[in-house]
Amino acid sequence: MNIIVCVKAVPGSTEVKMDPATNTIVRDGGASVINPFDAAALEVALRLKDDAVRQGLPCRVAVLSMGIPTTAELLRDCIARGADDALLLSDRDFAGADTLATTYALACGVRRLGGADLVLCGKLAVDGDTAQIGPELAGALDAPCIAGVTEVLEVASGRVCARREVDGGAAVAEAPLPAVLTVSKDAAQLRMASIAGVMAAEGARIEVLSARQAGADPARIGRAGSPTQVVRSFVPKADASGIPIEGSVDEQADAVAALLKEMGI
Amino acid sequence: MQGVKPMTEEFAEYRRDESRTCGAADTISFPVSEHELRAQIGWLADHAPSASITVQGARTGLAAGAVPCGGHVFNLSRMNAYLGLRRDRDGGYHLRVQPGVVLSELRRHLRSRSIPAVNWDPASRAALDALYAGCEQFFPTDPTETSACLGGMAACNASGARSYRYGPMRPHVSALRVVLATGEALSLRRGACRANGGRLVLVTEQGRSIPLELPAIPSPSCKNAAGYAIADDMDAVDLFIGSDGTLGIITELELELREAPQAVWGACCFFASEESALDFVIAARPALKRALAFEYIDGEALDVLRGVRTEGGSFSSLPNAPRAARACVYVELAGAAAGEVLEELKLLSELLRAAGARGEDAWVARTDVDRERLRLFRHAVPECVNTLIDRRRRDMPSIAKLGSDMAVPSECLRDVMKLYRDGIGKAGLQSAVWGHIGDNHLHVNILPRDEREYARGKELFAHWAHAVSAMGGSVSAEHGVGKIKRDYLLAMYGGERVRAMARLKARLDPMCRLGRGNLFDEALLDEVAAEMQGGERP
Amino acid sequence: MSGLMVDADRCIGCGRCVKACGSGGIVVEGPRGARRAHATESCIACAACVDACPVGALAFERPSAADSAGCADARDYWVFVQIDEHGSPLGVSLELMGRARSLADVRGCRVVALLPEGLAGDRGVSARLIAAGADEVVRCRDERFSACDAAVHAEWVCELARRRKPEAILYGATVFGRELAPGVAVRLQTGLTADCTSLDIDRKTGLLLQTRPAFGGNLMATIACPSYRPQMATVRPGIFPMPRYDEARAGEVVDVRLDAAVRPRVVLRGVERTREADALVDAEVLVVAGRGIGSKKNLALAGELARALGGKLGGTRPLVEAGWLEPWQQVGQTGVAVAPRVLLSLGVSGAIQHVSGISAAQSIIAVNDDARAPIFDVARYRVVADCVAFASELLERLDSQRGDRG
Repeated sequence: MNIIVCVKAVPGSTEVKMDPATNTIVRDGGASVINPFDAAALEVALRLKDDAVRQGLPCRVAVLSMGIPTTAELLRDCIARGADDALLLSDRDFAGADTLATTYALACGVRRLGGADLVLCGKLAVDGDTAQIGPELAGALDAPCIAGVTEVLEVASGRVCARREVDGGAAVAEAPLPAVLTVSKDAAQLRMASIAGVMAAEGARIEVLSARQAGADPARIGRAGSPTQVVRSFVPKADASGIPIEGSVDEQADAVAALLKEMGI
Repeated sequence: MQGVKPMTEEFAEYRRDESRTCGAADTISFPVSEHELRAQIGWLADHAPSASITVQGARTGLAAGAVPCGGHVFNLSRMNAYLGLRRDRDGGYHLRVQPGVVLSELRRHLRSRSIPAVNWDPASRAALDALYAGCEQFFPTDPTETSACLGGMAACNASGARSYRYGPMRPHVSALRVVLATGEALSLRRGACRANGGRLVLVTEQGRSIPLELPAIPSPSCKNAAGYAIADDMDAVDLFIGSDGTLGIITELELELREAPQAVWGACCFFASEESALDFVIAARPALKRALAFEYIDGEALDVLRGVRTEGGSFSSLPNAPRAARACVYVELAGAAAGEVLEELKLLSELLRAAGARGEDAWVARTDVDRERLRLFRHAVPECVNTLIDRRRRDMPSIAKLGSDMAVPSECLRDVMKLYRDGIGKAGLQSAVWGHIGDNHLHVNILPRDEREYARGKELFAHWAHAVSAMGGSVSAEHGVGKIKRDYLLAMYGGERVRAMARLKARLDPMCRLGRGNLFDEALLDEVAAEMQGGERP
Repeated sequence: MSGLMVDADRCIGCGRCVKACGSGGIVVEGPRGARRAHATESCIACAACVDACPVGALAFERPSAADSAGCADARDYWVFVQIDEHGSPLGVSLELMGRARSLADVRGCRVVALLPEGLAGDRGVSARLIAAGADEVVRCRDERFSACDAAVHAEWVCELARRRKPEAILYGATVFGRELAPGVAVRLQTGLTADCTSLDIDRKTGLLLQTRPAFGGNLMATIACPSYRPQMATVRPGIFPMPRYDEARAGEVVDVRLDAAVRPRVVLRGVERTREADALVDAEVLVVAGRGIGSKKNLALAGELARALGGKLGGTRPLVEAGWLEPWQQVGQTGVAVAPRVLLSLGVSGAIQHVSGISAAQSIIAVNDDARAPIFDVARYRVVADCVAFASELLERLDSQRGDRG
């Protein structure tokens, strides 16, 4: 079985503070990390590999990312934790991609890796919060999609069976391989790297491909291939029209209790 | 007197500390400045001249050093200002703080470059600008309890996992201000006032000269926080650090900062037996030049972790130790860059193989997320053992956890481990062992199942105190002696030397009011106080 | 490159753009007198600098109008209607119907409701959709929809869209909608904006302006899809108000067929329902706790308060991540958007991601000990107090009031 896990480098801290003097954002740099949802997806893949190995079956796990050159080190860390191969799509022409252009690039990467029985993505990336890459990638690969997977129950006889989130609850879903799964963060906790893994990863080759090397159509990647554009961005304006309820905690509680009564609650 | 309050029920918590023992006091105050503190000492001299005085910081100590023994309590938690910064000739930074500054806050301010510098003089501000412009600086002493305050850490000469590399608190303090029981103040800068041939002369700011004849007490050649650190040519600063609040009240400290290492990796290594873990540690200590810490968790402690993992709750997210592991050694490696640390990791891997362990079974933490997971893993051990004991205490309130804090010289590591194992085995007790194996400093914890086991455990500890002292070790390597480990101090030094220490105390605190009950029992203090009175009034 | 263009003739090198940029994406360089702004490789195309520029020297390079030719003949606003297990449309679908109606009125076009049904049947849903604002209901009854494979629905929507060329399609950002909409986007090769908190029409261009929290959720971004059709967006439940029903409205119902070649590949078995999730969306009264609540023990107090008020307890992301609350209790952009009559917010600082999920609440009473907390900007009543002390005081009063009555 071949598994591809798509991972994204996200800022280590999503905490952003406002500078009240200039009303601008102060981003606390911090090193990039693997999107936590993708980390869970990688662990799901590694457990499937452990199962396969136990049964004496061949299984390879590849990690795939589109990002800046330093993302290669995050992929190396994935290898230290048990992934077998890594492919990084890195090119200035990939920059500025929205989900559609990103999906296209990742689909090129999946093909370069020779396809897979299972493609796993994090359900969403903590910096973008769109949750679109997985389902779009399934469409691009013409594969069935199971989104919001909390547990992979079984992969056997050409089918995958998984517990997933659905509106108002959870359900068991089954799909034929090859399939795309998006993985919820609490599905699994990514294992620690072992010393042996770290050593092996040091010598491992992280394949880095430009857009052209990946066989991508320049019109479909980066900004050129992105239908959506940010027109403007802004910090929501502070609104001081709220009514202050002052006094001691006692008095404040009295006032709010009266208020609630007034509202009929 | 303004600020001195009767010790009413409102202040009940200030009768206790983390040792879970309880004392009593008549009055308490929370001074915010040395000035206010000295005024309150003056008031006490007029109104309660013989009252004992207990100094408290964050009350995180495990030896009851901050538990009051009657009289007055000075709680210094509100003396928590950052006072200034100095740059020395070598470019090193020295941060001046009040004793109530909490370690976790200090770390946060250093990391986020947000040290509260209101009212600092221009020289300090310039030094701060230089500090912020350069590499990140840190204070290396790292006790497990990060809510400890710096004054308390100095008073017990605190240490932590990284003391393997950086030593305890003592060498990282470059200056102190101390208020004596008499209300006089000492300003001590490292290097400015040293003993000569066993004679140390302190001069108070009020101009009084106090000559001290230092008794000949050899310090153990291992980590030690028991008793005064006395040496023939010692620095006056070192006398007060680790004195358990018995010589004076620390009102200011100057902390020597260091450049923070850029890459810090943690490696959790698992072994099939304690013997192979010991082989590894003994071989790795001289070989790994970049190691900051060697920490140990024994098989019984791992079993406790395995147990709570299955119970669900917050511990279920702990990484799962390999099933066959009967010992774990956590090694922390640091370097200026990742490449350096990687080289060291290769060496570690070879050492593991030589000790019969597998690199596949050793976890490496290189990211914040992983480092935090390993920190939780290690800290879960004492937490889970405490929970286990608390459960047993519900049915049997008279038992308690017995935890040792003894260290020995490096060449005795195997011997002391054998001592512990033989003792536990013969007594048929349940135990869990963890701690700072790099410093040959293990916390042996006895988990008594009934009162008889509790009594047997206490006997065992008394026996170990003698045996460890005979090895040239220390009975209290990091927690201090406080009130709980006085008997061990006797075992370690013998009655005469302890008496000599008490006499030294009485030279600075003639009525023996400060930190009463710490290090010395009260009968001994009364005797030496009487000697002092007699000596001064012939 | 991100496509940020600097008009060197206009740029005065004032550096306001550098201050506005949170990513180091722009620098001002050059000799004195000739200092100009330049985009760097760190530019994330957030456009914060564009607004900050006092002389209008910054703009994003827009693709040429050549490929937007196909946009001209696109018409109509579509709403995908999601049906629950009883055959009723979800609230969010009706909310979108209302919003689509007003957008379409600005554009002078029609609103079309897409109604895929399993075998459950219509049961008056079409009439309701028309009353809510639809000019046409395109209905398809097919067993294959019952499998709940979003790809089947996507194929159906795509086939219709290719034929009829809608200007925009709106979806509820439900679990299903969030899987369906990307499936449509990739098949039609068009843009999609997730979890919008407002939708407007640009009066000049007629484009759909889709605003959502972006860049880590600390900035709002307005996104447009100028050259591809349809323009598509998902919207969380509770963001828009329920429409007013006009039973007198006329509209047509068209039945269509699902292509015989479409086969569901994903099979859903054994749905386990958690009722509480719905309850949070529908709750009249909500108590929402944030990090300021301090401990799990204090959280129990918030729970009691919710019970005493006859409401539900929700919380912010950190509380859910700490395991103190269930994931369905998470209120905000990545959790549930809520629209209660009264929302009592305890110790919530008010990050944009959270605030965007509670903006539909009628009255927000915010309690926080930090008077500068952003939650106060959206609160109708501001209580600057320790939230735990306040909660226990309030609980005492509610209990005694109940005691008086009973």
